[in-house]
Amino acid sequence: MAKEMWVFAEKPALQAELLACAKTLGDAAAAVVLGNQAAVDQAFAQGADKVFWLGEKPDHLLLDDYVPTLAALLKEQKPAGMLVGATRRGKAIAGRLGAALGVTVLADVKKFIAEGDSLQVSHMVFGGAAVRLEKAVTDIMLATVSFGIVEALPPDPSRKGEVVKVAFVEPKWKAVLRERKPRPPSSVNLAAAKKVVCPGRGIAKKEDLEMIFELARLLEAEVGATRPLTEGLDWLPRERYIGVSGAFVKPDLYLGVGVSGQAQHTVGITESRVIVAINKDGEAPLFSQSDYGIVGDLYQIVPALINALKARK
Amino acid sequence: MNIIVCYKLVPDPEDVVAKPDGSISLDQAEWIISDYDLMAIEAAVQLVEANGGKVMALSVGPSQLANSKAKKDVLSRGPDELYLVVDDGLRDADTSLTARTLAAAVAKLGEFDLILTGEGSADLYFQQVGMQLGELLGLPTFNAISKVEWSGGKLAVERSLEDEVEALEVPAPAVLAVTTDINQPRLPSMKEILKAGKKPVVEWTLGDLAVQDGLAQRVEVLSVRSPKQVNRKQIRIEGKPEEAAQALIGHLSKEGVL
Repeated sequence: MAKEMWVFAEKPALQAELLACAKTLGDAAAAVVLGNQAAVDQAFAQGADKVFWLGEKPDHLLLDDYVPTLAALLKEQKPAGMLVGATRRGKAIAGRLGAALGVTVLADVKKFIAEGDSLQVSHMVFGGAAVRLEKAVTDIMLATVSFGIVEALPPDPSRKGEVVKVAFVEPKWKAVLRERKPRPPSSVNLAAAKKVVCPGRGIAKKEDLEMIFELARLLEAEVGATRPLTEGLDWLPRERYIGVSGAFVKPDLYLGVGVSGQAQHTVGITESRVIVAINKDGEAPLFSQSDYGIVGDLYQIVPALINALKARK
Repeated sequence: MNIIVCYKLVPDPEDVVAKPDGSISLDQAEWIISDYDLMAIEAAVQLVEANGGKVMALSVGPSQLANSKAKKDVLSRGPDELYLVVDDGLRDADTSLTARTLAAAVAKLGEFDLILTGEGSADLYFQQVGMQLGELLGLPTFNAISKVEWSGGKLAVERSLEDEVEALEVPAPAVLAVTTDINQPRLPSMKEILKAGKKPVVEWTLGDLAVQDGLAQRVEVLSVRSPKQVNRKQIRIEGKPEEAAQALIGHLSKEGVL
């Protein structure tokens, strides 16, 4: 029997990447789609061979309210697995489905490795200090997958396929949605940034970040951050945090300023093409993972870099 | 209100040693409360301070959990009672076995209004256990909770998602995983540290619980290795700040990344 790999993602761009990934893992890729006819067409264009259509979501329902529907569908259809977009809602849904069905949930998979008949996955553990290789032991495998592990296929609007309509299963409990407050649209897109300047604990006070932003402007770079700057010190929003529980970046240039280079952070930058470290501590671990390093006071080096870049323009 | 707060004791990720052969050693690691769970404990303590009731701390894991320093540490952070399932059969428990064991322990704890967990664990950070636990218990279950209030037997919560914040009214009892920015956990006071030793502690083993599906694991771990290091050029740039800046720009220009 043909092995189907399913995808379920609330964000269309993530669905596209997951479909590209699913096509390499199964004989056919199916998308579970919550949305209108355009969303169904989009899933086919992104590479789905089949769509399980949950219909459009009424405003009063949460995505989470579809867990019983998804559980019933998985139980009935028994695909090889389902890749769930690792948004916050996606992670909650994958966990609840895993428990409801008694199946494996592989969290935040960074790589899928086909090994004969079995599928192995790797992900980071111990804050990035180790890579763990695992495999599912149940018939259906659930995996949460974030942006960036596979590239989306070029969209092909001419693609069509079978649409299976799925009936809503009323959940046993519901939360009441009182209000949706849009978050100010984040102007930060670290995952897509070609250049990243990342300040670390070497920055003495919040006001000094201004020079980091100026350096980033001159380089046309995005500003990232290590975890202490976004949690604890609260100098920068969490969206800027690069590391094991934050963003993974793969820019052409990563410039760490006053970043020591703990594994919890560097796990998020290893795919950068060129890594530069500026730190007054010559023993900082980031130097051994850098292409270029300047041992020195960032309060002298950064202004010098700013002046030199200005002179170049 | 009665709150159960779940926490995990983990080997301090900063003490993880990568050996030359690529294997990982935890032998030197100190076992500490997973830092994400400190926010869950603080949130539970704050809710009980505001509304009355008690906080029951609950953890499941291997023998390190029964260490008296570890027990005192969690109790000095404010919980009134501590419940532990200590069993070396839980040493490498996957998220499913952990959640099923927690669910079996919760069944022994009596009435509660809320179960809180951290966002994920500091060692594995799969962000799964709280969600699986809630589903196993058949209770309303949400993650990413950045605010919790208790009023009239219901939970008013805020859920911080990528693009929006949902304000939800959640029926109790519920299982909620809190974010790291929900609060700033306080440091235990001397008074709390002294009180901690006198608080009730109940210890069970797996044999004392009815764990659904027994000890079956749902994930097979094949290996744990240090990540492959990319070989970097490691060029050190020397000189005065101005010279170093110029030299760096020269290198980056040659690399084509400016």
